[in-house]
Amino acid sequence: MVYSEECDFIFRLKGILEFACQLDNPNGAQSKCTISKSFQDLRSKVSSKNTVFTVCNSPVLIWPNTGFQSSVESLTEASACGDILQCIDSDDGGSKKSSKKKDKKKSGPTVVNMKLLFEVTEPAGNEAPSLIRVSTQQHCVKMPLPLDCALSVTTDERLATVCKGLVEALNKQLADMEEVVLQYRKGSSFLVPQPFHFQLPEPSGLITVVYPAGVPDSQLQAVREDLHRKFELPCDRPYLRRANAFHFPDAAYKDGYLRNPHIHLNPPNIEDAKLYLVQGVYSYHHYMQDHVDDNGWGCAYRSLQTICSWFQQQGYVETAVPTHKQIQQALVDVGDKEPRFVGSRQWIGSIEVQAVLNQLLGVTSKIMFVSQGSELATKGRELANHFQTEGTPVMIGGGVLAHTILGVAWSENSGQIRFLILDPHYTGGEDLQTVTDKGWCGWKGPEFWDQNAYYNLCLPQRPKTI
Amino acid sequence: MGRSYFVDEAVEEYLSGLQAAPGSCVTGLLAGQSSPQRDFVVLAVQTPHRESEGQPKASKGVGPLDDIDVEWVTEHAKQVSRMLPGGLSVLGLFLLTPPELSKDAQNALKRLIFAMEKYIIKGRLWELSEEDVTDRVTLHICSKTKKLVCKTFDVKDPKSSAKPADWKYQTGISSSWPMLTCSVEVDLQIPVTGSSSDNTDKCMKDGLRRWAKQIEAAYCLVNGRQALDDSELISGQKKNPKTTNRQTLPTRIFVSDEQVELDERSTALVQVCSGSMRVRGVVHCRAYIHNNKPKVRHAAQAIKRDLINTVCSRVEMFLEDLLINEGSQKGLCSEQQALPRRVFAPMSISGLSVCDYMFPDESTADVAERLKEMLDCETPEEDIDTSLESIFSAISGSEITDSHDDDSSKHVISEIQAENPIIQKAPQYYAGVAIAAAVALLATVTSLLYFN
Repeated sequence: MVYSEECDFIFRLKGILEFACQLDNPNGAQSKCTISKSFQDLRSKVSSKNTVFTVCNSPVLIWPNTGFQSSVESLTEASACGDILQCIDSDDGGSKKSSKKKDKKKSGPTVVNMKLLFEVTEPAGNEAPSLIRVSTQQHCVKMPLPLDCALSVTTDERLATVCKGLVEALNKQLADMEEVVLQYRKGSSFLVPQPFHFQLPEPSGLITVVYPAGVPDSQLQAVREDLHRKFELPCDRPYLRRANAFHFPDAAYKDGYLRNPHIHLNPPNIEDAKLYLVQGVYSYHHYMQDHVDDNGWGCAYRSLQTICSWFQQQGYVETAVPTHKQIQQALVDVGDKEPRFVGSRQWIGSIEVQAVLNQLLGVTSKIMFVSQGSELATKGRELANHFQTEGTPVMIGGGVLAHTILGVAWSENSGQIRFLILDPHYTGGEDLQTVTDKGWCGWKGPEFWDQNAYYNLCLPQRPKTI
Repeated sequence: MGRSYFVDEAVEEYLSGLQAAPGSCVTGLLAGQSSPQRDFVVLAVQTPHRESEGQPKASKGVGPLDDIDVEWVTEHAKQVSRMLPGGLSVLGLFLLTPPELSKDAQNALKRLIFAMEKYIIKGRLWELSEEDVTDRVTLHICSKTKKLVCKTFDVKDPKSSAKPADWKYQTGISSSWPMLTCSVEVDLQIPVTGSSSDNTDKCMKDGLRRWAKQIEAAYCLVNGRQALDDSELISGQKKNPKTTNRQTLPTRIFVSDEQVELDERSTALVQVCSGSMRVRGVVHCRAYIHNNKPKVRHAAQAIKRDLINTVCSRVEMFLEDLLINEGSQKGLCSEQQALPRRVFAPMSISGLSVCDYMFPDESTADVAERLKEMLDCETPEEDIDTSLESIFSAISGSEITDSHDDDSSKHVISEIQAENPIIQKAPQYYAGVAIAAAVALLATVTSLLYFN
């Protein structure tokens, strides 16, 4: 997760806009025009004077299409967008304590959430209502469009400009949604168009793509290929699968697992060493999670879960992280273990990890064998290469323990090395402070390994796919 | 610790002026505003004479109390509810009896109050919140001693018993109550499935209910303030009881299309409909809020409920009227018809407005008549404000069919519209011609008789 250095704010506007139209003949040629006309009406609606943005957790209402009016006197056309923070009630009572600032620098830009509303008062005329009855057979189509626009801006950008930008983004999104709706429509069956945000490498930045609901990623390959070409993205790794969607800094992860605890650590102080770290996002899996008491035997399983979570969150697979039983069953299925293995507390090693990754995720892995723990200190180049090209977490098993290696700090000149270790033996709760302070995720030296035991490392390889 | 009712002196005057035939009872309504701390009564209206009184129903009970026409009292209550703007509602009933019936009066009042509440809330599209007061007041007046007995019943609980309450008279209770106003654009597209008129009614109700939920959830700016928390509507102003100026607070309402049940869908909702109904136009809304430290959110709730009520009332009245005039739904041609429009009139002493609905073929004279009958108040016709909502003018044929891809219905619509204005003018026009002709005939006959 790399944020553009200049971007201080992300303004995110969400709202549901109901799409409705009446089709006399859903399969007729006229129906396309009717649908397009309805989308045109929606575009006019968001550009009208009745469009209002409200800033969540604040009394601010903004009319972006009437030369910028706001309900709060302090916010005018000339206001910088940073001024909006003064109006928002944040959860910690608004006062920014200095101790919180230390973490703030790592958490990226501030997200300002806004909601799309429409004013129904202040009408143009005052004609009393009438009732219009139409009595022709028709198909009535109603669909809620989940609009979601995001703009990355700097602090000194004017609020009025940001709002104009959001209105333009709404228009563009409606046009994209129209395209998707028409493309995937079959007669009177319509798929809801859903927007996804992706943080692409500079200069593209934050973009939004509309995908049809219910169509799996596997069937959208051609769409992604076009987009990879358009944004000049490498063709061998996924950027635009739904799982790759940008995770807004203010959103909590619903499953409760910690993500990338390593980013909160300070790198080791070795002269001349470069950092070679895992790329992307993984979840920290460890003992006692999910109400499974695997204390003493489950460490390799947990490391395997961490690796599976990586493949899921980078968009390579859609399957959920496997449970201990599912892992064991996979080994039975490939003939590696007897059926009574399932439900047992037997340990597994790197070879089994490789087998399960292949069976459940279709992922191949390289095995690296080290006859003595002391030799690991010499594997700097291999590990550095792995993190540079594949960037996947590495499972290491040996002695009586299994761990996950998330990266190395290695100096080519001096050969000095440190290993970034994620320890699955942690039995506590998902508390970032404890995990980092107590070294459950931390930098270790070569003495960390049992110098006499032999080790096997499983290095998962990224499938070449988008 | 019972409720306290602060009652306008005009109500005292009205109640003491009530005349009852000896031995009989007088029923009537009490209207005003309830707030969690106290209640205000600003209007009392006796139940009007029922016209079909030529043949009195065979007395089924032992006395005048049993002869009270419960149905008529509740119907009156419903009609009056429609005429009250937001913030005001029917708070209870009064019953004037001769001394010998006083001890049975409480039972009669209890029956009436529950029946009335049940009837009034039928068809209401907004839900009561926890803060809404569910106590209704019953006032018993002895025709001889003029003694008042004031009690309340909690209409949420059918088994509740009467609780004593205070009844205090004050002048100018509502004279400085702020008035919220807004004009709201309504444009509802309601699909109709099935073809019977019952179906149409149900679809209409469902469509209106969805819209009402949207309004209840809407953001609201009252006089520039949002109803975000417990903030007060009029803060920073010293309460000056001598101020007779009534503040007008403009209100703005903002909706989103969010409907919880639709959120998780991955496909559109498609229904095969036999037609659709569209309610389109601008309604004018008004609400009053007491000035005893009112909160913004109560004011917002009052005006939103007025908005929901006014749209519902008109549609209800229109469909009732349609049923009477047309029998069952014609349903074969497409047409646009005006819904009754809202007009306002001031109540004599309190200065609060009441409202009424005028069908296209009616005049302010009809409104004045209804105000006299339902609210027992004389209103000069020129005081009736018809300017807030203007008469609809037929919109062009292409606008009605804007979502259609079938051209054939277009010409049918424009034909019907061309006919409509003429049909609407007909009764008054022909009436005028008839009278003129009659006068001419009479003059001719008279002159023939005299000069022959």
